[in-house]
Amino acid sequence: MAEDLVLDTAIRDWVLIPLSVVMVLIGILRYFVSKLMRSSQIPDPKIVKEGQVIVRARNLRAGANFIPSKSFRARRVYFSNEENGLLHVPKGQAQNAQAQMFSDPNMAMDMMKKNLSMIIPQTLTFAWVNFFFSGFVAAKIPFPLTQRFRSMLQNGIDLSTVDVSYVSSRSWYFLNLFGLRGLFSLILGEENATDDTQRMMQMGGFGFDPSKSLGAEKDSLDIVQHEWALPKFEQRAETVLKNLVS
Amino acid sequence: MAGRNDSGASGKKSSDITNDLQIFNTENLQSNMKVIYYSRTFLSIIGGVIAGILGFTGLTGFIFYFLIMAITSVGLMAKAKFSVQSYFDSWNRILLDGFLGGLMSFVLFWTFAYDIVHIF
Repeated sequence: MAEDLVLDTAIRDWVLIPLSVVMVLIGILRYFVSKLMRSSQIPDPKIVKEGQVIVRARNLRAGANFIPSKSFRARRVYFSNEENGLLHVPKGQAQNAQAQMFSDPNMAMDMMKKNLSMIIPQTLTFAWVNFFFSGFVAAKIPFPLTQRFRSMLQNGIDLSTVDVSYVSSRSWYFLNLFGLRGLFSLILGEENATDDTQRMMQMGGFGFDPSKSLGAEKDSLDIVQHEWALPKFEQRAETVLKNLVS
Repeated sequence: MAGRNDSGASGKKSSDITNDLQIFNTENLQSNMKVIYYSRTFLSIIGGVIAGILGFTGLTGFIFYFLIMAITSVGLMAKAKFSVQSYFDSWNRILLDGFLGGLMSFVLFWTFAYDIVHIF
């Protein structure tokens, strides 16, 4: 770095600080708007039932070692036998659920609302930043970077002689977009933090096939090695109590 | 520290010496991990602002981040009364979780404070 750029303090007062504040405020606004638009849909009882069955099977798998092996076998048969076990899905019904999911307009509507509430503010903010703040050297990162980062950090200013650690206003917007996630999870609670992942799950849930997860749970239940943990506990209790008494 | 107080909603004590059984309440474990995540994020933001105001550049700032995270780990351990095994299922939870997630916030606030104080 041969010579430092001298940046006008007006850039700080009228570009850097307003941009950051606006990003925070828009994040908060987006959170409340998406909270308002979230429709509380009544879930399909069949899907809820299947989900509960999966949770029960998972609990059985987790706590398998705390019940005698006879009881475990009885429960396993209850879940996974081939005739009327809860986890067993007849072959014909597999496609049915997916078609049902597609025919449900509420679902698609809800997803669209969520996506829109993400995309619209982002596009608007980006357009706003482009319109007002294009071409400013707004900030400087306090650590050196290689030339490869130039396109990332100096988006919008075409000067190849400026040191890479100087950040253009448009790239400052992107930095804010990614870096403020932690701040939002602090000030808005965890809901906001999980919002993205939930959206992803909904995306995946579109082609989601309940019979598949039932089958997977059945398989993993089938291969559980049962070993009753409690017989050793009597000896352990004996030693503990002896220690207490003596 | 924000939100650290409810770390007392601890997991059940894994009271086993003879055979290693995992007896953890999943919800409590998750709440503990959430507390870790919050305190790490909070401290990385605060640490970023401090690093920016003090004017650290280059490697010094990242060393400062590591220092902050190490202090957080020690603080969390002290909060868990140094018996990590009774609150978390492994040491990595306290030492490593949320480490990279906080880095982005740290860099952003570091840059922000540094620019405001030192550049202009």
